[in-house]
Amino acid sequence: MWRLTPGQALASHGWDGEYVLYNDLSGDTHLLTGMAFRILRQVQASPSTIVMLAQSCGADEGEIESLLADLELLALVEYCPC
Amino acid sequence: MKPLPLLLRALRDPRVMAGLTLPDWDLLLRQATAANLTVSLYHLAQEHALLAHIPAHPREHLLWGHVLGERHRQAVRFEAAAIGAALADAGVPLILLKGAAYVLADLPPGPGRLFSDIDILVPKARLDDVENVLKLYGWAGSHLDAYDQRYYRQWMHEIPPMQHMQRQSVLDVHHAILPETAAVRPDPDKLRAAACAVPGMPGVQVLAPVDMVLHSATHLFYDGEFDKGLRDLFDLHRLLQHFGATPAFWDILPRRAHELELARPLFYALRYASLLLGTVVPDSAFHALESARPGRLLLGAMDQLFERALLPAHASCADSFTASAHFLLYMRGNWLRMPPVLLARHLFHKAFLSKSPASAVA
Amino acid sequence: MLTLSSLSPAELRHRMSIDGLRFQTGAFVACVTSPISHVADGLERLYGDYPLRDKHDFVDFYLNLVPVGGLRRWFKPQVQFDHDGLRPFQPLPHDQAFSMFEWALNWCVSGRAHSYLIIHAAVVEKNGRAAILPAPPGSGKSTLCAALVSRGWRLLSDELTLIRIQDGQVVPSPRPISLKNGSIELIGRYAPGTVFSRPVADTAKGTIAHMRPPADSVRRAQETAQPGWIVFPRYVANAAPALIPLPRARAFLKIAENAFNYSLLGAAGFKAVGDLVEATDIFDFSYSALDDAVAVFEQLAGLGA
Repeated sequence: MWRLTPGQALASHGWDGEYVLYNDLSGDTHLLTGMAFRILRQVQASPSTIVMLAQSCGADEGEIESLLADLELLALVEYCPC
Repeated sequence: MKPLPLLLRALRDPRVMAGLTLPDWDLLLRQATAANLTVSLYHLAQEHALLAHIPAHPREHLLWGHVLGERHRQAVRFEAAAIGAALADAGVPLILLKGAAYVLADLPPGPGRLFSDIDILVPKARLDDVENVLKLYGWAGSHLDAYDQRYYRQWMHEIPPMQHMQRQSVLDVHHAILPETAAVRPDPDKLRAAACAVPGMPGVQVLAPVDMVLHSATHLFYDGEFDKGLRDLFDLHRLLQHFGATPAFWDILPRRAHELELARPLFYALRYASLLLGTVVPDSAFHALESARPGRLLLGAMDQLFERALLPAHASCADSFTASAHFLLYMRGNWLRMPPVLLARHLFHKAFLSKSPASAVA
Repeated sequence: MLTLSSLSPAELRHRMSIDGLRFQTGAFVACVTSPISHVADGLERLYGDYPLRDKHDFVDFYLNLVPVGGLRRWFKPQVQFDHDGLRPFQPLPHDQAFSMFEWALNWCVSGRAHSYLIIHAAVVEKNGRAAILPAPPGSGKSTLCAALVSRGWRLLSDELTLIRIQDGQVVPSPRPISLKNGSIELIGRYAPGTVFSRPVADTAKGTIAHMRPPADSVRRAQETAQPGWIVFPRYVANAAPALIPLPRARAFLKIAENAFNYSLLGAAGFKAVGDLVEATDIFDFSYSALDDAVAVFEQLAGLGA
């Protein structure tokens, strides 16, 4: 299951389908697409599998998997075998 | 001893801050800035519920420092996690030293600290593996000339500083707490064996309390450069107050100091912390260090030197001897770390040949 | 309250050589010491309206502009900025001492004042709302700022826009506007009667002069302003004025990039920029003629009132 990395509050602003997000751990600020942002909100609500995310975000699993890999590198999400 | 500067009075007894006038605050903040202790003043004021009693204008300056301190704290936690991930890959435990240890282990000197680099301790036998895995994770080695590279690897207790290519953070990898060339060789294996896990942080360790204090004392009293002297002494003071609340600590501390051949720096640490900052040190601890106490003449000379060198580096705290006190201690510091022949050769090279001053070389 | 102009030239120089000349620049109190006449001349010429402070007042920033010693002193005299023992800049030729003072004070503020989001931008105000002009070099920001100020806009700052973290208000710190090369003459013609410091040639940026801020701006330096617009100016030769709205997420990043302490402020910085983007209309603006540019800003102010 993928979940939001503990410590991330997801302070964010969205305008016209683009989102800026504050990374509480690294102190970085990110510019995200709508899809990436939806994934984050989803895992913030509850840990999810790739299949669950593909369904709720309306994307194919390959795209989800690729986005998760990027988000993991940024310490925004982590995989937990729960 | 001369009357203590305002900054030392505030560090000894933070409640002093509640009654200061605006001109007092003006001077106190200038001394604190020179000594890198502004953020610590904020935390002392907060701990003693004094912020509301400080006039708005100086309080704002303290808040400015606090913002900086919080950002550093965030950065250090993130770096420690990143370093830990790299070292875990090589199967080497992460032992944090100095400021990073204080922050990650939530110790009193932590909140006031500003960081230029992070210090870790690894086994000498694993140095190559550690260096390689760090490079894999984005840290680059220093661009030092061949002389400085050799200086570090042959004689020092650390490899040249590494810098993360993306984040620009600097990492000092130590394999011992004193250089190879120093007269005493506190055994790093013993330090690593006694290291403690940090609750809530799997894979992260810090030195045992007595070792942490001894490391801090050694770092302060063996180093040549004293511009951070007061801040380091204040860290020591806070550690001693914190760990010293447990009576057993005062028995173990001198014993461990003798075991690691660090009794003399501990003697100085306890002496100057109690004299300048009012640290409460039981007589039993001084008695246990009697054999390490310098003779009367040497001690008198050291008192003169250290009492000046450990004051804030601000014009208001200087007297005509201060410049030479710093120079003499610079000589002593280097002498303690390197035998005399090597020292002359090194100083000559540093002054005339090195274009960019190497980072932490004393 | 007494201003700098109440001091005689001799008294001003006396203070500068002994205890330091203390005065208020909006949000901050500075104390300047220097034996170098160029610094005193510049302060005398451009800071007459600024409130004086006395020896017992709390000072935010101590600035000491000192001559560099040694043999150089005789054939190529230089000036050094000493900040309570710290010397963060390389020395400069002696005749740039006043410019060095201005840069040094900006350096102090932008490096320390973390109760504000500090944007590298000019900021002016009319009808109760502030226009923020972020400024990468070559934007013509200072010239545009000088032009607006000479057409009735209040100057809050030429270089450092201070957004108070606590409430998002723009806090003034009005100071002389620095102009380069052709802009000096241009503004001299655009606003006859403007007082300038003695132009100094051969700096790293060409010829530099500083323009005295309007007395009204200095008098009202304690009055904060609500942010109204963020306009990224760009001088384009012969261009007709064009004001183009900027997508807000991109604007967010552009503002953060232009802020000295955005990263340092952490989550509070993120919030401050977010609130600022929500509260303002944001544009890219290209122009060539100053009259055109001023007219566009007048329109904005009229619409916003």
